Amino acid sequence: MSEDLTRRDLFGTVARGTVLAVLGGGAGFLVKKANGQIVWQVNASRCINSRLGDAGAEACSLCTTECVVALSAVRAVNEYSKCGRCNICPAYFNITSAVNELGQPSEKLCPRDAIVRKAIGKVDPEDPANNFYEYIIDEEKCDGCGKCVMKCKEPLGLGSITLRVRYDRCVNCNYCSILKACPQNALMQLPIEQALEPAQVNRAG
Amino acid sequence: MQYRHVQAIDGKGGLRGIAVDSHGQLCAAGDSEIKVFDAAGRLARRWPTSRPAHAIAVASDGAVYAGEAGQIEIFDGAGKLLDAWRDEKPLGRVTAIGFTKDSVLAGDATDRAIRRFDRNGRFLNNIGKDNPVNGLLIPNGVVDFGVDAQGVVYAANPGKHRVERYTPGGELLGHMGRFDMLDPAGFTGCCNPTNVAIRDGIYTTEKAGPRVKAYDFSGKLMAVIATNLFDANCKNMSIAVDARGRVYVVDTVKAAILVFEPVKA
Repeated sequence: MSEDLTRRDLFGTVARGTVLAVLGGGAGFLVKKANGQIVWQVNASRCINSRLGDAGAEACSLCTTECVVALSAVRAVNEYSKCGRCNICPAYFNITSAVNELGQPSEKLCPRDAIVRKAIGKVDPEDPANNFYEYIIDEEKCDGCGKCVMKCKEPLGLGSITLRVRYDRCVNCNYCSILKACPQNALMQLPIEQALEPAQVNRAG
Repeated sequence: MQYRHVQAIDGKGGLRGIAVDSHGQLCAAGDSEIKVFDAAGRLARRWPTSRPAHAIAVASDGAVYAGEAGQIEIFDGAGKLLDAWRDEKPLGRVTAIGFTKDSVLAGDATDRAIRRFDRNGRFLNNIGKDNPVNGLLIPNGVVDFGVDAQGVVYAANPGKHRVERYTPGGELLGHMGRFDMLDPAGFTGCCNPTNVAIRDGIYTTEKAGPRVKAYDFSGKLMAVIATNLFDANCKNMSIAVDARGRVYVVDTVKAAILVFEPVKA
């Protein structure tokens, strides 16, 4: 350090450096964002609909009601490698509805009928319990209400369904309006490569 | 019939499978060890297994069988290793072990089937494999079963909400159980019962919410043993019943064994 440098000079230099660093970082962030590198994504281990340890809670629908995009940019996604392909899927059926003659619940869970299923593999038409099922979420119908996510999570289900921001719909607001309302701070910004990875769900608390 | 909760035994770490030997001694598999508890529920002895143990059973000669990934380890009652059957193919992940008069049965969760071996570890046949879905439907990743005094195998098939009866040779004899969220005689959710034990009847555990029940061999519900004593996030709760009718159930979250006994009328 120069012997001529006064305390005032030193503070001034540090302050200017800090401002430049912040501006530089912000500019870098904006450039990255403009390139589509930084995006919003749902943190599944914070979202009350998917995080473990909240068995029996009501589904949160803030992703539906708060998003500026029509129907919401957040949709339910089923990760097939985790799905149990169950006959009686609690995310597909309203499992508390009356049991029908096939031994299945008589009502579906999704209020928009956005989940469809088909028997796969060697299909037994006589006994629905004798089949595996593939569950497909129709993204055109889904509004991200989270009901199926809440029912799919462990221990009732296997947690294969999570809420995910769909980048073809998200307008990438500077401050996500869902995040503003979310009591769990469950939306986060991250590089798109990470955001596209399957959701990780951890036990809360 | 009614039951009362009489004891909670500290599992001393992780708990997976439990079993009661012919003397009424409680044994547990968990983490990478076998634990043996005395009549008061105190840890009497423990010994390590070479891999994490998922299942345990005690043969009539006192040998302790531990089910693990890729192998079954056989110990004497003091923990000395007597033998190990290693074969990744039929023993992918052993989550249950049982015995008939002349054979050893192992639930392989990897292939969703029960394997039958002779007493020397030679593979004989599969049980629960010959069906359109090529195995038991176990979304929770656990095959569990019990064997009655006649050698009939009772396998939990949670995806079908049934307990299925098989001959040791693998022939399906019948089944009990159905899906129902309201009637306690039924099984709830996507996939229950997850675990089963056989003694004077059929004993089952369910997840979400955790529930323990007893049925007679015709499938008639005899008792709801417990519903609200377990952590709500429990699943795959191993169950065992001793000769006095005491029921032992693992709380997988609290790592404890809850003990219930029948209330005499």
